[in-house]
Amino acid sequence: MFTTFYYTLKAKGLDVSLTEWLALMNALNRNLNNSSLTGFYYTARAILVKSETDFDKFDMAFEECFKGIKTENQITDTMLRWLDKSEEMQRIFDEEKFWLNQQEELQIDRDDVEQKFKDRLKDQDSEHNGGSYWIGTMGKTSFGNMGGNVGGVRVGGKTGYQSAFSVVGARKYRDFRDDRMLDNRQFQLAFRKLRQFSSKLDIPKTELDIPGTIDSTCKNGGYLRIEMEKPRKNAVKLLLLMDSGGTMIPFSSLLNELFQAIHKSNHYKDVKTYYFHNCIYSKLYKTPECENGDWIDTEWMFKNLDSDYKVIIVGDAAMAPEELYSDTGNYRGPNGGLSGEQWLLLLKQHYKKIVWLNPKMAPGHAPWREAETRVKEIFPMYKLTIDGLNEAMVKLMAR
Amino acid sequence: MQNNFTSTGQYIASEELMMSVNIAMALEKPLLIKGEPGTGKTMLAKAVSEALGKKLIVWNIKSTTKAQEGLYTYDTIQRLYDSQFGNEGVDNIANYIKLGKLGEAFESEEQVVLLIDEIDKADLEFPNDLLWELDQMEFYIYETKRTVKAVKRPIVIITSNAEKELPDAFLRRCIFHYIDFPDRELMEEIVKTHIPDIEENLLKNAMDTFYEIRTYSQLRKKPATSELIDWLNALIIAGVDPEKIKRELPFVGVLIKKDEDLEVLRKRVD
Repeated sequence: MFTTFYYTLKAKGLDVSLTEWLALMNALNRNLNNSSLTGFYYTARAILVKSETDFDKFDMAFEECFKGIKTENQITDTMLRWLDKSEEMQRIFDEEKFWLNQQEELQIDRDDVEQKFKDRLKDQDSEHNGGSYWIGTMGKTSFGNMGGNVGGVRVGGKTGYQSAFSVVGARKYRDFRDDRMLDNRQFQLAFRKLRQFSSKLDIPKTELDIPGTIDSTCKNGGYLRIEMEKPRKNAVKLLLLMDSGGTMIPFSSLLNELFQAIHKSNHYKDVKTYYFHNCIYSKLYKTPECENGDWIDTEWMFKNLDSDYKVIIVGDAAMAPEELYSDTGNYRGPNGGLSGEQWLLLLKQHYKKIVWLNPKMAPGHAPWREAETRVKEIFPMYKLTIDGLNEAMVKLMAR
Repeated sequence: MQNNFTSTGQYIASEELMMSVNIAMALEKPLLIKGEPGTGKTMLAKAVSEALGKKLIVWNIKSTTKAQEGLYTYDTIQRLYDSQFGNEGVDNIANYIKLGKLGEAFESEEQVVLLIDEIDKADLEFPNDLLWELDQMEFYIYETKRTVKAVKRPIVIITSNAEKELPDAFLRRCIFHYIDFPDRELMEEIVKTHIPDIEENLLKNAMDTFYEIRTYSQLRKKPATSELIDWLNALIIAGVDPEKIKRELPFVGVLIKKDEDLEVLRKRVD
């Protein structure tokens, strides 16, 4: 009977391993769930699910498997024993009902409370989070948007047990859901490729220099003289230029992940990030909002960030041809007397290693996307996937 | 000896959290705790050790911490120096092996609670380097050919702020618990364990304001339990009139620590 649950979990996209499953069986055999369905819910979740982003998937699988059993009279003895907390569940349900009926906007149909409860949750969700939020990975803790809104509807403010179904039904972990193509760890692993060890950096000598010590000791007539050396550190400097234009909005969560990954990989000597809108012109913005005035001169960047910086440009290269070719093509800010194309060529001239990452690159040759085709001729362009990212990193490190 | 974890005088745990702790102890697996900063992840280990009457060993992880340091370190340079002067015991490598926190927990005659705090601060590969040690509860000291094996399997509690994703292989071996942000009732209970004689009116006004502030979605770092308690203490010490709390937001710097967030708050209040 549990096997169904196992496969439902798999079908919902939870990657449950056999070891974890056996651990759960072990826990059930030892009755760590106190013979209750709610206990079973928490036990199974603690053992099988390893991230709050997956709680929602688990809830859905749980509901599918065990709610069905409840209504289809396929109650086995064991299940009956679990459900033997009916008094408790009924009490909680009544409390729920009472509380919901206290809410004015819900004063409609008392029998339909459960449904109303869910509807209300749904409404609240969309109101608080807005469309773009849904795609966003803001549920990630780094931004602290913990989806507390949904949790706020926690029924009756109970601190003790909630019945498994009122927890499941509430789907309070929906905001944590995270169906992403790439995860942060994969990004970070890709960025690890960007390493170039050097001991010429200005840091304290903390490692024992073995050949040096032997040499020095020999010259010292056999009396020990210890030599230390600087540990080898990554000398890679990174310049990240990100497109923050309107067409990039659908990818904001992906870019956010990328940005986080680079900043969490604290092994670079230096990381600089600037933003642009569609194409690079005479100014680069300091923040993703791209507000005029809050910028630096692209020329200044050329002067101050030397040609050793490895440049990663992230953008969809989706722009009108005049934005690329006309020297008045920048409709948001100054052009600086040059066309976008000329600025890109200047960038290419200045920096030795540049790659362009594109989240929605057209496959193969795409003559209908004129600007993208031209940008591709200037810079090596890769699609923003794990494979693309890995290839791009290899390109950046190639001598 | 008590074998189940329940809330203590100083720490209020939700039912599900207690359940997770007990499952982890029964199945002898590490318990991985995640949650917003300030929801008492680190406090939990302390509470568990107190409730069970076991010693707590804390291993604080920093960005430079290596897995090896938790097992043991071999002070080669000291030995090399000592060898010059023929110091006593220099021929015995064991004198230069120092056990780390994990080693200490393994060698303890009594069962201990081992807290590996903020595991996500360390290098990406750090958790992978500890898989075997946490699974088998033993490690091998190459220099002295000695295996250190846990006398009594320690109760391992690991906290993470999700700064880095943890590897799958590591996660599969853990019991996972996510500490939800406490709702109002639980929060009042928590506050009262810290400030038992708090005045109801002050508490009510402060809590209203606190939960109101937490709904502002633009905040980068929402205030959490520890900030609330600091804030309440500040309000009490200064003797602020409870009626003024909502309007004037006294000592708001205790709750909100980032400049950008203060700006957000200022805009909302105006």
